Amino acid sequence: MLSPYEKILFALLAVFSLYLASVTFRRMIGTIKRGQGRLAWNGLPGRLLTGVKTLAGQNNMIRNRPLVSLAHTGIAWAFILYMAVNLVDVLEGLVTGFVFLEDGTAGQVYRLLVDLLTLAALAGMVALLIRRFIVKSPDLAVAPNVKLHPRATVGIRRDSLIVGLFILGHVGFRFLGASFDIAIHGADPWQPFASLAAGLWTGVEPSLLTFGLHASWWIAIGLVLAFLPWFPYSKHAHLFMGPFNLMTSPERTSPGALDALDFEDETIEQFGAGRITDLDRTHITDAFACIMCNRCQDACPAYATGKELSPAALEVNKRYHLRDHMKNLAKGGEDTEPMLGYAMSESALWACTACGACTEACPVGNEPMFDILAMRRNQVLMESAFPNELKGAFTGIERNGNPWQMAGDRMEWTETLDFKVPTVAEHPDYEVLFWVGCAGAFDPGARDTARAIATVLHRAGVDFAVLGNDESCTGDLARRAGNEYLFSIAAEGNIETLNAAGAGRKKTVTGCPHCLHTLGNEYGALGGRFEVMHHTQLIGELAKAGRLAMPGREDTPTTYHDPCYLGRHGGEYEAPRQALAAARPSLVEMARSRNRSFCCGAGGAQVWKEEEEGREAVSDQRFREARETGADTLAVGCPFCARMMNDANKRAGEPMRVRDIAEIVAESIQDERERTHHDDG
Amino acid sequence: MNIIALVKQTPDTAQLSASMDGVKLSAEGGPRIVNPWDEYTLETAIQAREEHGGKVTALCLGPPEAADALKTALAMGVDEAVLVSDPAMAYSDSLTSARILVAAIGKIGTFDLIVGGRAAIDGNTAATTVQVAALLGVPLVSYVAELRNLDPADRTISAVRLLEKARETVTSRLPALITVVKEINEPRYPSLIGIRKAARASIPVWTCADLGLDATEVGSNASGVEWQSELPPLREANIEMIDGGPEDAARTLVDRLIEEKVI
Repeated sequence: MLSPYEKILFALLAVFSLYLASVTFRRMIGTIKRGQGRLAWNGLPGRLLTGVKTLAGQNNMIRNRPLVSLAHTGIAWAFILYMAVNLVDVLEGLVTGFVFLEDGTAGQVYRLLVDLLTLAALAGMVALLIRRFIVKSPDLAVAPNVKLHPRATVGIRRDSLIVGLFILGHVGFRFLGASFDIAIHGADPWQPFASLAAGLWTGVEPSLLTFGLHASWWIAIGLVLAFLPWFPYSKHAHLFMGPFNLMTSPERTSPGALDALDFEDETIEQFGAGRITDLDRTHITDAFACIMCNRCQDACPAYATGKELSPAALEVNKRYHLRDHMKNLAKGGEDTEPMLGYAMSESALWACTACGACTEACPVGNEPMFDILAMRRNQVLMESAFPNELKGAFTGIERNGNPWQMAGDRMEWTETLDFKVPTVAEHPDYEVLFWVGCAGAFDPGARDTARAIATVLHRAGVDFAVLGNDESCTGDLARRAGNEYLFSIAAEGNIETLNAAGAGRKKTVTGCPHCLHTLGNEYGALGGRFEVMHHTQLIGELAKAGRLAMPGREDTPTTYHDPCYLGRHGGEYEAPRQALAAARPSLVEMARSRNRSFCCGAGGAQVWKEEEEGREAVSDQRFREARETGADTLAVGCPFCARMMNDANKRAGEPMRVRDIAEIVAESIQDERERTHHDDG
Repeated sequence: MNIIALVKQTPDTAQLSASMDGVKLSAEGGPRIVNPWDEYTLETAIQAREEHGGKVTALCLGPPEAADALKTALAMGVDEAVLVSDPAMAYSDSLTSARILVAAIGKIGTFDLIVGGRAAIDGNTAATTVQVAALLGVPLVSYVAELRNLDPADRTISAVRLLEKARETVTSRLPALITVVKEINEPRYPSLIGIRKAARASIPVWTCADLGLDATEVGSNASGVEWQSELPPLREANIEMIDGGPEDAARTLVDRLIEEKVI
């Protein structure tokens, strides 16, 4: 199609563009390589499949913001197809007489697909531009109290406008070119929209049409050549960095399982992330993958309650910082600017509840929570600068083996039971180890839950034992608060205790999702492999096996709050619902439930400190949501959720009953026993 | 400036519970901590050095395992640590302890400021620091809740003392000895880098011989005070539960407190 002069010009421009792109892409890769650890490449075929699947399936982003996601899917699918289209167009331009697939069925389908997806991309892009620039969707804004790079607000708008116009230009001119081609060569039923557009050119001089065809080709392809080197500087890089990020993410036992630090190696002098180069490579990649859509921000409990934290702003700030320093970093230069400053404020850092909603919401596999926890590690291990209230909890774990700094007996909670709870020392041949947890041992509310769990196990005839005073804090709060050193000490001690108790060969059940997560998902990396289940999982099993006689008498409307460390971090949404259904068939779901559940506000060591300043308490917002279901009972599965919801309930004048599922089940069993007793009498 | 921080290792009295009495707690092997008031001592000394430069030496008298308390001091950020330990020194009373500490301070050399805690939570005499100041012949400013002005050039210190019903601002010349209360600051939590540095540090142990003291000058031989027992004090308590709503309960509580002449 192209004239010889055009071909030479194209070759020159293509070489120039590819050269510039190689410079900027190498900068981006060099910057990523300044991070710690390695990107995961093991099991490459599976990872490639992940990349393809997430690209084609858009990583299920349609779950949230469905209309916007639909518009995006149109553009994305068009782009995937356009990878081939651009190649075909270049070949058709360069190789005289070459027509891709000719006019066979395959060619017809190809042309139809291109025609339809071109329209989808144009319509989608127009919709998204209207959303951003005319409707000015609040989803795209960041609250003024959140730290945002000074150039970001204007920069994101400019970047979006350029990308929008690029897509409209690229796809639009490709479409115009097709219409000129049809006007020259006659109608093509396989390109209905382009044929429709071709109708506009009736009566236009053939030479003008040919000029239009060439001009369209040059604009459509030229825009790609112009855009290519700019990719690493634009958030639009997400179109390949997103799938790349998902493909190279490390294998984790759980989405919230943190990596252990090496305290043995004396040559390591940095713990946690003080500077951006202290982050793992995968978390530097996050910044390049981020499209700044704020979906993580929508899901973040800290942001939703007016704290200074926005996980989206964190990624944006990282990206803008990297943009400014990419050249230097890729060359091996030092970046001395502390992240705590440009990336987020101190209050934001300590506002994170480590609930994992941000990582769950992100369509490109970003893990802002990991950055936050890495920065906390730096603050605790290197700077010793953290909220003062946490010191008490740390000291408690160190000296008393529990964050409450309680010196009491870990068996005291069993005293009011009408049966004996044996310790492992008394009953070494137990079948199930009941890990009570510090809350179960010391917190008055959680003691009720611990007693309920023990009661259920006892009634169902489960042969269980507890560790009693050998049990010690798992270190979850220390880990989420950044005190990895204390966590490692706590973990080491517990692994030793659990191994001595033979827990590696048995099942462990716990009433605390935080214990569940650390024992089951995180101790493995430190050499402690235990099969741990949540009490609702065991109760569900027992109910299914008919070992629990429950009349389900009190069928009052009940709602259930998914604990973050059972749900998102543990992947368990069904068992607690099944366990609950055995006693309370009428479950009313909250607006945000299962993987979209909203944190109670306790996690990430928040319960051990004052909540950061914001509009409202996280727990109040969640409790309001529970009330809006109209249910009169709020079922929980975590002692910390229980405490937060109980406090919120009290503040609201106690309109609901907050109960752990174990308590509800135990009450139900109790009722049954009393009823049968009556019948006997 | 040269600062000496006096640190004692004590049993962790927070561990006292129904299952562990004072005797058990004080017995060998019971959990040991840095005397809580001395955490404030260390923080005060380290902050003073951070502001004025110089060196902080932590000085501790105690059994060999008291070196752990000095590890904590090093982890928090003191420059040097010295343990004074000799089996002959066991059962020294406060005055004898003060004499030993003064001998050790003499061996450390010149000083501008000595910092100690208001008391140790085990003996709770609050006497040793006073006696050290007296033996050294330096001014004592006790119960310091705030350092107003520490001026090494002018050789003065100005501090606010927390008294039972008042605050008193005192200015003294340097060298001086101050004892601090919990209101003065918030002790830092040792960073991992500090913990590592402390783990690598070797802590010199000075015995009677090193200090030129005779065995008759230390320990129970030289002490006028003798401890009969370490049993926890007997407490007679009546527990009365007050029923009713918050307001009624509060009213009853106030009435009862007035009745018992507590308020």
